[in-house]
Amino acid sequence: MKILVPVKRVVDPYAKVKPLPDGSGLDVAGVKFDVNPFDEIAVEEAVRMKEADPSVHVTVVSVGTSESEEQLRKALAMGADEAVLVETGDPMDSGVVAAELEAVVRQVQPDLVLMGKQATDDDNNQAGQMLAARLGWPQATFACKIARAGDHIEVTRETDAGEETLRLALPCVVTTDLRLNEPRYIALPGIIKARSKPLAKQARATDARPKSRVTTMAAPPPRAAGRKVASVDELIGALRERGSL
Amino acid sequence: MATLPFTSRETGCSFFDRTPETCFVPEDFAGDEQLMVQQAEQFSRKEVLPLAERLDKQEDGLMPDLIRKAGVLGFCGVDTSDAYGGLGLGKNLAARILEYLSLNGSFSVTYGVTSGISQLGLSLFGTEAQKAQYLPHLASGEWIGAYALSEPNSGSDALSMSCRADERDGKWVLNGTKMWISNAKWAETFLVMAKIGGSEVSAFLVERGMPGVSVAREEHKMGLKGSSTARLVLEDAEVPLENLLHEPGKGHQVAFNALNIGRFKLAAMSLGPARDAIWESTQYAKDRKQFGQPISDFGLVRQKFADMAALYFAVESALYRVGANIDEAFAEWGGTVEGNRRAAEEFAVECSALKVLATEAEARIVDEALQVYGGYGFTEEFPIARTYRDARVSRIYEGTNEINRVFLADRLWRRAQEGRAQLGGPGDSFVSELAHKAFAKFSKDQVVVGGLSDLVLLTYAEQSARLRAQRLGGLAQMAYERFVNWANVQAAFAYQTVTGDPVTLPTPNPGHIDPLATALLTHRSPL
Repeated sequence: MKILVPVKRVVDPYAKVKPLPDGSGLDVAGVKFDVNPFDEIAVEEAVRMKEADPSVHVTVVSVGTSESEEQLRKALAMGADEAVLVETGDPMDSGVVAAELEAVVRQVQPDLVLMGKQATDDDNNQAGQMLAARLGWPQATFACKIARAGDHIEVTRETDAGEETLRLALPCVVTTDLRLNEPRYIALPGIIKARSKPLAKQARATDARPKSRVTTMAAPPPRAAGRKVASVDELIGALRERGSL
Repeated sequence: MATLPFTSRETGCSFFDRTPETCFVPEDFAGDEQLMVQQAEQFSRKEVLPLAERLDKQEDGLMPDLIRKAGVLGFCGVDTSDAYGGLGLGKNLAARILEYLSLNGSFSVTYGVTSGISQLGLSLFGTEAQKAQYLPHLASGEWIGAYALSEPNSGSDALSMSCRADERDGKWVLNGTKMWISNAKWAETFLVMAKIGGSEVSAFLVERGMPGVSVAREEHKMGLKGSSTARLVLEDAEVPLENLLHEPGKGHQVAFNALNIGRFKLAAMSLGPARDAIWESTQYAKDRKQFGQPISDFGLVRQKFADMAALYFAVESALYRVGANIDEAFAEWGGTVEGNRRAAEEFAVECSALKVLATEAEARIVDEALQVYGGYGFTEEFPIARTYRDARVSRIYEGTNEINRVFLADRLWRRAQEGRAQLGGPGDSFVSELAHKAFAKFSKDQVVVGGLSDLVLLTYAEQSARLRAQRLGGLAQMAYERFVNWANVQAAFAYQTVTGDPVTLPTPNPGHIDPLATALLTHRSPL
């Protein structure tokens, strides 16, 4: 079985970032980057499947600048077998990423694409669904449990109504939620081994262009100070004044 | 190991005469080396810190389990050769990992000893057979190791030890008591110094299970309560002949060279908790409100943050510069026993300087961090009280800071007599200028040597911080300038102590309190 795991380089989700003064993007000077946490969970799941069945082969792929190699190396250190970097500095939205991933899927021919349900930088939650649509493959999103069942795969997913379990024919696309697993500590020998695992760099395969573009970025306005009231009546009066009641 | 596009070409004490064009800075650690450091930090935060209270009670098996867990991840033999179960990485990276595994003092010392000085003597001086027999067990974390030099009546004056070894019936027979043995409760192996025939200091690999070996009751300590410290008692202990390490009568080489590198590593162990204390105190200050605003808004609190960060920055700069130089020395000379000895010895002055710098920086930082908590800092409600207690011993072990001060200026002076260091140059900063001038007054008087040592270590820190600030600019430059204001005053005091002459301080740099404090309150990393 072959698994393809797309990973995205994102600003460290715990870093505090500010928009650039001209609103053209984020000021990321001195900010650390990491693997998108949802993708890290996807890598962890793929590696666990490989540990349970050594015939599983895990390829990780990233679409982005050469710096994404760092995130691919981390995925290799976690236990992935090989990596592909589609190297580009072009502006991208989810549609462009899905188009590029489709090309990589046709090249790698995985049985399963396992990826984060969204990236913590733009929170779009689209690339997985778009990729499945492009490929005409079944999809299961927000997975909190994945089990192999012969030539099918069973995915338990979180919905507003509770958990539901889907049975999908392979090949398919599965996107991961936070509850799926807790990624491991990476053993130091794994990091050393990752240095010599294959990492292929290639150019973009499509000329897809983004259909959306960021016009401006601004910090949310600071919260205004509250006001203290002496009684419930005064509170209700104040709420009425504001038109909240 | 992290390699630079250049070699520093620094040799021991060369810093004193000239400032190199550039030097290794922590930002030079490669991407995947930083990933290793990140794993170390996560291990500390998720596996070690939540157990702090239980570790302090020495719950059965808890600490050895943690060491084994760390071993599975590869942490117990980072700079041990990969031919003997280690990872074969550099000492500088090992120190950076150690810094981030040192957020809890008790774990730090247990881990530091078993991954460091318990293996180092063997790595440097062991035969193939000795290394193959012991290192894989220690590097995997399966065994815990210990190092036994001090005795009840022999501490700083280590060579006055009375523990003796005699060859009898085809065995070494050891008798004596070793004191303050870290890891004694759990250790499977002890690197023991004893005098053959009562006179020749020699090193022995002693296993816990050998006849005549026992461990006395735990010491009741002020801090590091979760670490084991006890006496090792040797009563006609029977040690195989092949367990003599290095040559008879040359145990001091084993002991002192393990200590050189041990002092460098201890600097990392001291910076780890200091770094975390800075961060924790900023978080407390943001939450704690007085007079209707967070105390992190107040000038005297912000000043503490700026000072703590500046000091951490300077010592951190010095630490990883030394580490890169040590790695270079091992790359150049290491491999043979003689080469290893030379490499471990080359930066002995710098290692002592670091030990004093880092442990005193730690003391000042945890003290100021605790102050930020006010009354809460004096309770067990926050971890800072434990950090404060645990930090106290840093200035005492691996050679007291006093014995290190006596050693370092004297050693520099002696290197100069041998033509291996230059004294009396012009210096290229206020601090180094004073240091050079003061050496004209060199004497064996301890107070003079102590003052000179202060000037030497301040020179090293100032220079290292300057080189790093030149590369990074911005906040790093501000931290450097703030550190210089402090270092200049310290240097002036030391100069006056040595010479009795008056000194005029240079115009101070701007204080940079607000930008430094703001950066600390926002980012986890000091700068």
